[in-house]
Amino acid sequence: MKVEISRRRFLQGSVALSIVGGTALSQTSILAENAKKSKELPLLKQVPTICEMCVNKCAAIATVKNGIVTKLDPNPYFPKSRNMLCARGVAGIHALYDPDRLKYPLIRTGQRGDGKYRRASWDEAYAFIQEKLVKILDEEKDNRSCIGYCAGEGLAEHTFKTFMADKFGSSNFLNHSTICLQTAVSGYTLTIGGYGQADLENAKYVIMAGANRAEAILTPDTMDMFKRTRGRGMKLVVVDPRFTNSAMHADTYVPIKPGTDLAFVLALTYVAISDQIYNRSYVAKNFVDFDKYKKHIIENEYTPEWAEKITGIPAATICKIAHDFMANAPQAVYYQGRRTTWSKNDFQLRRAMALFSALGGGIDVKGGIVFGKKLPLGEHTTTAPMYAQAKPRIDKNLAAVVGATGTWVGWRNMVAEGKSPYPIRGMFVYKQNPMLSVPNTAKTRQMFEKMDLVVVIDTMPSDTAMMADVILPECTYLEREDPVQSFAGIEPAIAVREKAIDPMYETKPVIEIMRGLAQKLSKPLWEITKKYDEDVQDELEDADEAEFYEENGFDLSEPFMHSQEETNKHLFVEKYGEEAWGILREKGVFYPNMLSYFKKIDNNTYQCYPKDRKFYSVLKLEEEYDAETFLHDLCVNPVDIADLKRSFNTPNKKVECYLGSMESRGVDPMPTWKDEEFVKVPSGQFKFISGRHAQFTQNSSQNNIMLLELMRENYIWINDQEAKALGIAFGDTVEVSSRVGRVRIKAYPTPKIVPQTVFYIHGFGAKSEGLTFAHRNGASDNEIIEDTIEPVHGCANMHDTIVSIKKV
Amino acid sequence: MNYAMALDYQNCINCKACEVACKEENGVQLGADKQRIWIGVVEGTIFGKPFINLYPSQCNHCIDAPCVNVCPTNASHFAGGGIVKVDAHKCILCKGCMEACPYDARFVDDTMVAVDKCTFCDHRSLVEGGTTACQATCPTKVRVFGDLDDENSDIVKLLKTKRFFFQKEHTGTLPKLFYILPDDETYAKQSVSHHTKIHTWDEIQPLYAQARERRSKEWRK
Repeated sequence: MKVEISRRRFLQGSVALSIVGGTALSQTSILAENAKKSKELPLLKQVPTICEMCVNKCAAIATVKNGIVTKLDPNPYFPKSRNMLCARGVAGIHALYDPDRLKYPLIRTGQRGDGKYRRASWDEAYAFIQEKLVKILDEEKDNRSCIGYCAGEGLAEHTFKTFMADKFGSSNFLNHSTICLQTAVSGYTLTIGGYGQADLENAKYVIMAGANRAEAILTPDTMDMFKRTRGRGMKLVVVDPRFTNSAMHADTYVPIKPGTDLAFVLALTYVAISDQIYNRSYVAKNFVDFDKYKKHIIENEYTPEWAEKITGIPAATICKIAHDFMANAPQAVYYQGRRTTWSKNDFQLRRAMALFSALGGGIDVKGGIVFGKKLPLGEHTTTAPMYAQAKPRIDKNLAAVVGATGTWVGWRNMVAEGKSPYPIRGMFVYKQNPMLSVPNTAKTRQMFEKMDLVVVIDTMPSDTAMMADVILPECTYLEREDPVQSFAGIEPAIAVREKAIDPMYETKPVIEIMRGLAQKLSKPLWEITKKYDEDVQDELEDADEAEFYEENGFDLSEPFMHSQEETNKHLFVEKYGEEAWGILREKGVFYPNMLSYFKKIDNNTYQCYPKDRKFYSVLKLEEEYDAETFLHDLCVNPVDIADLKRSFNTPNKKVECYLGSMESRGVDPMPTWKDEEFVKVPSGQFKFISGRHAQFTQNSSQNNIMLLELMRENYIWINDQEAKALGIAFGDTVEVSSRVGRVRIKAYPTPKIVPQTVFYIHGFGAKSEGLTFAHRNGASDNEIIEDTIEPVHGCANMHDTIVSIKKV
Repeated sequence: MNYAMALDYQNCINCKACEVACKEENGVQLGADKQRIWIGVVEGTIFGKPFINLYPSQCNHCIDAPCVNVCPTNASHFAGGGIVKVDAHKCILCKGCMEACPYDARFVDDTMVAVDKCTFCDHRSLVEGGTTACQATCPTKVRVFGDLDDENSDIVKLLKTKRFFFQKEHTGTLPKLFYILPDDETYAKQSVSHHTKIHTWDEIQPLYAQARERRSKEWRK
């Protein structure tokens, strides 16, 4: 028995948190300060914030007049976004003042999905959740994992996760990684040690395949590159089935059949190796198992002629690109991109891309892929209770490496199809809209219909909110302070989102929602744990219950008791001091020496770091592998990657050609083209591809009137010759059907897309009647995208769906 | 002061940040035909290969502005610095100015019951170090606003080093949107027609200075 107790104490440990924790200040003093502040409301103020209209996080300044946000402008102090704010960023005001916003807690009165709700008080809503949860957990004998949870990307995602994972104790977490770029991040990380950032301010030659920086804006990349294209220092090759606004800037535009990028990269590699134009001394010094890779490429005969048949790209073009790339290396980048997984071979594609870039030596050097630096922030801890009855996540075996963020499609299918090893009885959804963002909407609906409790925390009555039993209204990003964040890069900085105005209606920031919920739930859930958890029962035999409850973290509200501003101060001041805190509050941004480094050169140009103070090459400086710094992305749990990284045979940070650790998990150790995995397009049908553009972010901005001004609805792109043969003209309504669904959408015949391929942008076609402008506007891609997953991380294959089109 | 704008249009990615910033800054009425600024898109194919050219645009604040010439009530006028503006309370919505403008830069604002147009954001751009909302927000920094009378302004410094052209120069209105021609000959050829007149600062400056002298008597203080 004693052994078990000590094991228990050992496991319990403490979980490092970046957002929550203790400060010396008491609650009352915080409240008193807030009360004082609200009295002296200034007529005009400028509040630094961080944009949340997409995931890029540009720094902005909110102009507030008489308590109303009247304008959002760029904040030039932030090196990541410098002095820019895109159309969505500027239109953030209409996210705040959207008349359709969720204003009060709501409790469902009709059938699930029919949109009938009644207004409730926060207390009522919490009580409703409590009653359901107690019943479910009693029936499931305290298996906390019977409640799944998911979250969209954002500064406060971690706050929600702290509650659900660390305090409530469920293992079934899902976020955007597996419907986003997990394969890309991990492919690069496992090959060159990090996902990094392409230095587009200095690169001389860039292959941008599938990525579209003109329409899927990412800073500083978008700002840097388009000032240097068109004969101004950067040669740009755009490889895409569509002629995008990025292709418009390309020196060479290469149309490609969707799903064949891997063949293209392997052929580039073949040319580089067989013509001996790669950087041989760099490879000799920095590669591991290069001989194996060389043999693999040559013996499989990945020749340009072979690739031409698969990709549709002329062999001569492939040869020229390989030669031009290597001639410009190491200032040459095969751009990592930030796309979703396309098809089954996506992980291998990203590995091949990283290896090709590395063959030129363009890793961790100016003008190549760089890792930059990250400024540290303080840490806080909370105690995570251990629940003996909580079971591991259900989707562990669906792919070779299922991390802490699961596989969205795989997990959803297990629940919808009743294949879960234990029942998933409910779900908490924060700031995500799986009804529109996860392939095969019909199955997502099925999943929600099987659940006894669905709680949605959001700002808008999304399609997913309409599946909820209880809707908890969050305030928008302009009405809350969020966890302070450090942004890694060539020019690292720390930025904070301050609250521009107080939350409107009865909305609350997620930290307060978690606090309220936790206070309500802690004691009743503790009773359930006492009833079923034998470890707890044993320990309570010799311990005082109140003390045990407190010490072992069963008070679920403990991490949420302090205001976000106080927590941020604690995290920041610990490292940089009080004076720096003052700078951060005033400017919204801080990095060491900011006030002396920062210079306005003219109205378009600001210097954040002097040239010789930027962090281009860092590997020699960094003694330890810090996954979080090198990852450059919040999509993937750094712990998952670090685990894999540590299992390498080569701890010396070399470029990994052969992944032995993956081979044992049934994954090809080297990028290999497999004909049988490629989804061919039958004659008369089309491959469906999706994507983004510069005026909407996925589906979160679909009801924004300012953005709808720029684009009323989405249209389906179809090759103009094929459209003509089918009698489809611009504006005709067509029906698009796949194996999993069908939609109606207007047609846009154009020469800008390759044959046998159709495209429309993601984020339209909402069915929620709560969205006045977005309701049934255009079509949703995930209604027709099939729900297959790739074998490495279980990511959704977004570009493997075959569709038929007919005019209606 | 003689305010103008140069546009490094080859930086443009058609993200429309400028359009939204303009609408938010100036409270422009919503509606597809209510635009103070816009991105002109020319697209097509050459030998089967697609191309797109983008020409971000707005009011040219012409030195010889035909909209000012035709206005029967002096609602359309030159403000200080040669900025062409509309006095909403004097406008009788005859729409003569809309007919006269070669650039279609004017529209009816139904909330003001008057013709509305770009003001070069004079409420924010004329303060020390200030600029227009469209320039401030642009991700790729297409625009440079400034004073043609000032040798050291951002715009004159740029114009001295570049070649440029105007839109619809033949209408003779002496427009003040300077489109910066790409230095690279191939790209330069791709975005202008055979008829486009290419200018340099040294050559155009006397003509513009002369015209400014003539019309600036009408500029309001």
